[in-house]
Amino acid sequence: MESQPEKRAAAEPADSGGEGGAGGLPQVAGGRSEDRVTLLLRLRAQIKQQLVEYKSMVDANEEKTPEQIMQENQIEDKIEELENEIEEVKIAYEMKSIALNSEFMDNMKQILKLNKLIIRSQKESRSLERKRLEIRKKRLDLKKASESKLLEIQTEKNKQKEDLDSMENSDKIKTIRQNLQMEINVTTVIQHVFQNLILGSKTNWAEDSALKEIVLQLEKNLTRI
Amino acid sequence: MSVLRPLDKLPGLNTATVLLVGADDALLQQLADSMLKTDCASELRVHLARSLPLPSNVNRPRVDLLVFVINLHSKYSLQSVEKSLHHVDASFFLGKACFLATGAGRENLCSVHRNTVVRLAHTYRSPVLFCDLEVEGSRAAMAQRLARMLQISAGHVPGVSAMSLLSLLRSSESPSLEDL
Repeated sequence: MESQPEKRAAAEPADSGGEGGAGGLPQVAGGRSEDRVTLLLRLRAQIKQQLVEYKSMVDANEEKTPEQIMQENQIEDKIEELENEIEEVKIAYEMKSIALNSEFMDNMKQILKLNKLIIRSQKESRSLERKRLEIRKKRLDLKKASESKLLEIQTEKNKQKEDLDSMENSDKIKTIRQNLQMEINVTTVIQHVFQNLILGSKTNWAEDSALKEIVLQLEKNLTRI
Repeated sequence: MSVLRPLDKLPGLNTATVLLVGADDALLQQLADSMLKTDCASELRVHLARSLPLPSNVNRPRVDLLVFVINLHSKYSLQSVEKSLHHVDASFFLGKACFLATGAGRENLCSVHRNTVVRLAHTYRSPVLFCDLEVEGSRAAMAQRLARMLQISAGHVPGVSAMSLLSLLRSSESPSLEDL
C-alpha cells in the first residue's frame, strides 16, 4: 500500500508560559527578557548537540563498510561485539571524566592555598616596609638634629673667639699690657743692676748657696711670664 | 520508493518531530493527543502514518524519532509494520527508532505473542516498549516517556545522544531466554 494519506497532528507548543517557540515573537513585558535569554541558551545547547550528531555521522560514513557477505549469525556476533565495544568506551570515558574532576578539584584547592600564602606574605612585607620607612625617617631626623647641634657648637666657638678677640682689642687690656710691660722693664733693669752688683763685687757667688740662688733666679728672663 | 533517512534534512529550531507508524488510526490519534499534552520545553510535532513509504510530495520536517506501534490484538498491524520497516534507512536504528506494543494486558484478545515483537525489536537492535494505549494512565505515562526520548533523539538534551540512550535502554535479556 503506497502513498498512504498522512495525517499531521496539530503542532501546539505544550510548554507553559508564553515562550511561543522559536517562531513566536517575545512579549514586551520585563520578565520576558529572562525567558528570551534562557531560550537562547537552550537553543545554543541544542544546536551544539545536533552539530555533534551530524559530525559523528559524517565521520562514521567515512569508514569503509566491509564488502564481504557474511552469514547471518556472523553478523549477529559482529553486532554484539561492536555493541560491547561501545559500552566499554562509554565506561572508560566516564572513569576518565571522574578522574579529571578529582584532579581538577585538587588543583583548585592547591591554588587556593597558595593564594592565601601569597596574601599573607604580601601583608608581612608591607608592614616591614612601613617599619623600614619609619626608621629611615628617624635617622633623617637625628641627622638633622646633629647637624643643627654642630652648627650651634660652631657658632658658640666663633662667638667665643670673637669675644676673645674683641676682649684683646679692648682699651683696658692695652693699658694693663702697657703697665705690665713697664713693670717688666723696671724689674729687668733692677735684675740687671743686682746682677752687675754681685758680679762687680768679685765675690765667689758659687760657694754661697743663698747667693747662687739669687744669681740663678736673676737669670730668669722675665718676658717669659 | 523513497527511503526514510534520519539526517537528510536540517533540524528545525527548538522543534522535534516524531512519526508514529501503525495500522490503528484511533490508537495513534489518542497517543498523539497525549504526547501533545505533555509538558515539554521544545516544540513537539507529531506525524501519523499508516505505513511507509510516505508520499514524497509533501514537505515535511526531518523525523527525529520513529515509533512503530503494533497492536497485539491484530496480526495485520504487525504485518503492516514489518512491511514498512523495509522503507527505513538503517541509520534510523541507531537510537532513533523504537517499537511500541500495545494491548498486552488483555491476554485473551492477543493474537500476536509478545515474544514476536520482542524478537523483531531485537533483530533491529531497537528498544521495545509495552503499554496499554486504551488506558488513560498508561497512555499518558507512555506519552511522557516518548516525549523524553524524542527530545534526546532530536539533540535537545546536551550530553545525551540517541545512541547513548540506546545503549542505556538495551535490555540484557535475549528473546531466546524468554521462550517458554
